[in-house]
Amino acid sequence: MTIEATTKSTVDAMVLQHEVEQFLYHEAALLDSHSYDEWVDLFTADAHYFMPLRRTMTRRQLHLEFTKPGEMAYFDEDKNWLEIRAKKFATGTSWAEDPPSRTRHLITNVRIVEDDGDELAVHSNFLLYRTRLKNDVDQWVGRREDRLRRVGTGLAIVKRFIYLDQTVLQSGNLSTFF
Amino acid sequence: MTDVPRAVDRLDDLVSLDTGEIDRTIFSDQEIFDLEMKNIFGRAWLFLCHDTQIPKRGDFFEAPMGSDNVLVVRQRDGSIRAFLNTCSHRGNAVCRAEEGNVRNFMCTYHGWTFGLDGELVGVPGKSIFYKDKLDLSKHPLRKVAQLDTYRGFVFATFDETAPPLEDYLGATGRLGLDMIAERGDMEAVPGVQKFTVHTNWKFTVDNVFDYYHPQITHMSAFSVGLIPAPPDDFVEGGAKSDTGANLEVPFLPTDLHNFVVVGEYGHAISGPDQESLEVTAGTEPFAWRHKPEVEARLGRHGGRVAGHPHIFPSTWVTTNAQLSLRVPRSPDVTEIWWFSFRDRNSSADEQAASLDSQIHFFGPAGMLEQEDGENWAQSTLQTKGLKSREIPQLLKMGLGTSEVVKEDGLAFMDAPINEHAQLWTYHAWREWLRNPSWEELRERTIPRDRY
Repeated sequence: MTIEATTKSTVDAMVLQHEVEQFLYHEAALLDSHSYDEWVDLFTADAHYFMPLRRTMTRRQLHLEFTKPGEMAYFDEDKNWLEIRAKKFATGTSWAEDPPSRTRHLITNVRIVEDDGDELAVHSNFLLYRTRLKNDVDQWVGRREDRLRRVGTGLAIVKRFIYLDQTVLQSGNLSTFF
Repeated sequence: MTDVPRAVDRLDDLVSLDTGEIDRTIFSDQEIFDLEMKNIFGRAWLFLCHDTQIPKRGDFFEAPMGSDNVLVVRQRDGSIRAFLNTCSHRGNAVCRAEEGNVRNFMCTYHGWTFGLDGELVGVPGKSIFYKDKLDLSKHPLRKVAQLDTYRGFVFATFDETAPPLEDYLGATGRLGLDMIAERGDMEAVPGVQKFTVHTNWKFTVDNVFDYYHPQITHMSAFSVGLIPAPPDDFVEGGAKSDTGANLEVPFLPTDLHNFVVVGEYGHAISGPDQESLEVTAGTEPFAWRHKPEVEARLGRHGGRVAGHPHIFPSTWVTTNAQLSLRVPRSPDVTEIWWFSFRDRNSSADEQAASLDSQIHFFGPAGMLEQEDGENWAQSTLQTKGLKSREIPQLLKMGLGTSEVVKEDGLAFMDAPINEHAQLWTYHAWREWLRNPSWEELRERTIPRDRY
């Protein structure tokens, strides 16, 4: 491989990394500004959004730590369910979010682990900080496994699996998106 | 020190069946909580898990029993035992996982090892250090006093004098569990949702019977069609938004036809009457209960239940083949555990539809339950204010207007939405706190003829 080719592939990788990160940051900004309709628009029609349960298991049985699709979950959504959730937040009577929570989605450790030209497998870590009312504080840390599809000039989310770093959830609800 | 009498010394004043008023202190008082742990959770039959969660030898599930945690374990002979998750040596938990499969439980402190039956089978240094003077048979994991199952639901009690499980459940409690068991060959869906609400556990139980709150609390779920929209002619005023707009509270036809069952030891059922529910919801979702053999087993009155059964003190059966355990951890911290069930014989599509609805209604992300927790948390907070806690909690709806009919072992009332079942639960709760004998407790919780 020539020096020029090596440089070109490195630059291509950096551009792609930049594009993916900017997409994820844009998405996080939409959530933090409660722009749920626009956020749902980032998902493809065949999207699958899934947050399994997690259980404290011994190292020997760690492969059973997370539930799988078809088993109980916190979120198991197609695009239609995401739209219903967004619509519910917008009713003006969704009291769990009125007054609205203040959230900050911090997205880090973004890695493109697969790229077949049409779709990308992207892993990231998140810290979602939420405060409510005068002094309620929730923090959720975890990782996401996304599948992003090239659509038109940009990207869209085909699949998002969210793995929380809690077993017994320490919060009273999950009236937000991850 | 304050001159206010301790709540535990004035149990008579805390609940009034005559005025429908409750003393708010009971939702945050530490001594009341400690008494609840001892006299209620230390004696009652408590739900642990479902038979199908631990199908194989060595399968275990850790379950709460009041302030203790027990390991529910499938034995070599297929039976189930439960014992405290604490080493008989120095107290360390002998199991750190929430569920799994083991051959034995080894304490990670000094290596004491217990068999699936809880017997102490191994002690490092038994000969060299203990000089063979330790009698292993005297130091097993401590078992619950009684364990039994009703149609696959595993219960246990710490009280060896407690009546048999079926007697404890009575017709009301059994009917509650039948509402899941009668749906088919039921098994637990893998995965128990567990989350933490900053509230007193009694608010979470009270809410089970509360068919007055959905129209307001869950208004947004109605708006997006999660609950079938009620007809316009049932709209009633009363609630206005902060801009003065009439919220047009959408009452349901079923709200005029509720069916309430109250039973010994504090069990109760409250909510819509089945026949009136089917007027708006149709009969299709209830196909499972319209089979002749199921109708026969539920009985003429049991077949009318479309509301929420609750087994005292803390087990709620939903209308959606789920069971919710309210787990008190402290006066103002309660964990909610959701167990979900499916019919082994139903098709993959039917199972998927059932799971889809279970995930989207309840649990921390459930579009109904999302709204509940903050109501309870804020209610709990206000019971701590010096002045706020002096205001009585009101459970007056329908008070003194309902005749109790006693037939087929059930005591029931037909009424519009009411607060009978909540008040019944608090009445029983108070009688439990007095720590009477089981016979006295049963007598004091025999329903009267009118509420």
